[in-house]
Amino acid sequence: MPIVQLGREGRWTNYHGTGTCEAATRFALRSGDAERGRDELAAAAREVREWLAAAQAAGRHVRPLGAGWSPSNINIASHCWLLHTRRFNRCFRIAGDDVRPGVDAASLMLVEAGALVDEVSDKLEAQGRSLWTSGAGNGQTFAGAAATGTHGSMVAHGGIQDHIRAIQIVTPAGAQWVEPTAGVMSDEFIAATGSQAVRDDALFAAAQLPVGALGVVTALVVSSVPRFLVRPIQNLRRVDRRALNWLSAGEFRRFSAAYALDRDPDFVQMIVNPYKPFKRPAMLRFLYREPWRDDCPRATPGELGAGYDALSLLGRLLDDYPWARGWLLQFAMKLGYAGGPDVQDPPVYGSWGEGLDTHRPLADLFNASVTIDRADLAYVFEQICGVYARHGGSTVVTLRFMERAQGLLAPARFAHNAVIDFDGPRSQRTADAYARVVERLDAEGIAFTRHWAKSCNLDAARVEIDYGEDFRRWCAARDRLIPDPAHRRLFASDVLDGLGLTC
Amino acid sequence: MMMWMGWGLCALLLFALYGQYLTGQADIFVSIANPRPLDEERMVVTLKGWGFASAARLPFVTPEADHGLCDLRVFATRRQMLVAIATLGYLRPVTVAWRAHAGVQPLGVA
Repeated sequence: MPIVQLGREGRWTNYHGTGTCEAATRFALRSGDAERGRDELAAAAREVREWLAAAQAAGRHVRPLGAGWSPSNINIASHCWLLHTRRFNRCFRIAGDDVRPGVDAASLMLVEAGALVDEVSDKLEAQGRSLWTSGAGNGQTFAGAAATGTHGSMVAHGGIQDHIRAIQIVTPAGAQWVEPTAGVMSDEFIAATGSQAVRDDALFAAAQLPVGALGVVTALVVSSVPRFLVRPIQNLRRVDRRALNWLSAGEFRRFSAAYALDRDPDFVQMIVNPYKPFKRPAMLRFLYREPWRDDCPRATPGELGAGYDALSLLGRLLDDYPWARGWLLQFAMKLGYAGGPDVQDPPVYGSWGEGLDTHRPLADLFNASVTIDRADLAYVFEQICGVYARHGGSTVVTLRFMERAQGLLAPARFAHNAVIDFDGPRSQRTADAYARVVERLDAEGIAFTRHWAKSCNLDAARVEIDYGEDFRRWCAARDRLIPDPAHRRLFASDVLDGLGLTC
Repeated sequence: MMMWMGWGLCALLLFALYGQYLTGQADIFVSIANPRPLDEERMVVTLKGWGFASAARLPFVTPEADHGLCDLRVFATRRQMLVAIATLGYLRPVTVAWRAHAGVQPLGVA
């Protein structure tokens, strides 16, 4: 039996301790031991459908949960049935006759919805493959990271959801296998998963980033590239203001040459202290991609600088001693950053997956971001830091770069994106300072979006403005995937209703 | 002179007590490498009679631990430390938190 109930009705708290579901009845979807993945999916789809019918009969909303990683309350719903998918985490190799003609089966892997990004990376590496981008952490389920548009970090790629080639979604009306119009998997394979084939570019673009509102995602087909090595360089450097213009123009090679290696970097990150961002040294991290070599000396994740998301320490101190914030943040940056390897150190190498980390939150986390057009960076970055610091923001400010991501509701919707993160200890003052940043961007007429999984205080009106026609296309796709309004309401929650996604 | 020494000793003891209060809230965290955690579970174990006996509010079971545990934390909350201090250590509540492992499944065929 793939779905089991976990204990009695009670409270559930998310991974980062930022949200709580009250009076939630918890269920777990578990992997079985079927020989073939398609048989697993057929059984799971059947069970999930029955579970949805039971929830509807009980008059409860439902909420599928992966690792519960999102610090925003996007996965929070009280008085509902929660479906934990973490133990539905098998991955399967795809054979040539499972796919449509012309599709490269070797680049694909079938992934159950509860598999972590870390697990997907491991399984791909075992096949000589790799993800081409991902977020800072690897403790999210792949399906959950994609569902919230987790931004990538490779300068030439988009978001994690760009890896998805097909999705199995279960609603009370049945299981649907959503693919692009050109198709990916064979008709026989899809039928064996107990799903109805839906080959439609518009529906697929919506389903790549469902924000938990399009049904229960039970499986994904994930695309990959041949595995590669990355060489990290990280250091503390005082960054010149002019260098921001280089980043704004996409001159990453020039930036890299000034602060690390004279090579095209594949990943560039700058973490600054918003209190005097160009006077105090910034934490810089570069990754340089190289072809895979089996004989390469491998570094540990720590040596690779795994876990490059910003600091989540020193919350109480920063709140209690506002006059010392700038100094304390700089001290934390110095202490918290894994030392090196800098340019002069012996090079270390690892796979993309080894450079990620399942961090454990050490303090109440504040986690917010804005994604802007990279061209606006030089103009607004210093203003953002100034406003944030002036209003008492107590986190570092992190800058990363990526290309436009797939999915109608992808926050990275500009051709070239600069993602500015505010990650660190939670305090009301920091949340207020972030709100002032948002106000300043609006006042300056700068277009920007916010991350679905972070505490960004979005509402329905704002979502509609930010995503415009894409939002209307997403709603139309939702209504096609779940035509019955009663079924759509099954996936509602106060948070999703507030974002205009389920009402 | 004796009075000042007495006050000094009192201050020292107070500092020692405050130090115990703070350090008792320290988070002792043990994890396996490469964790694949499920949700965190917690229970409170109360040491009684200066550690001669202990009692947990929950039984020592976790519903989904058939793949073992990923990590374990032992810590006291502020309130638990205040209880320990107020009872002169007779009661010493401690929170034990753990996360079970989701399991590592072999790569299958689709």
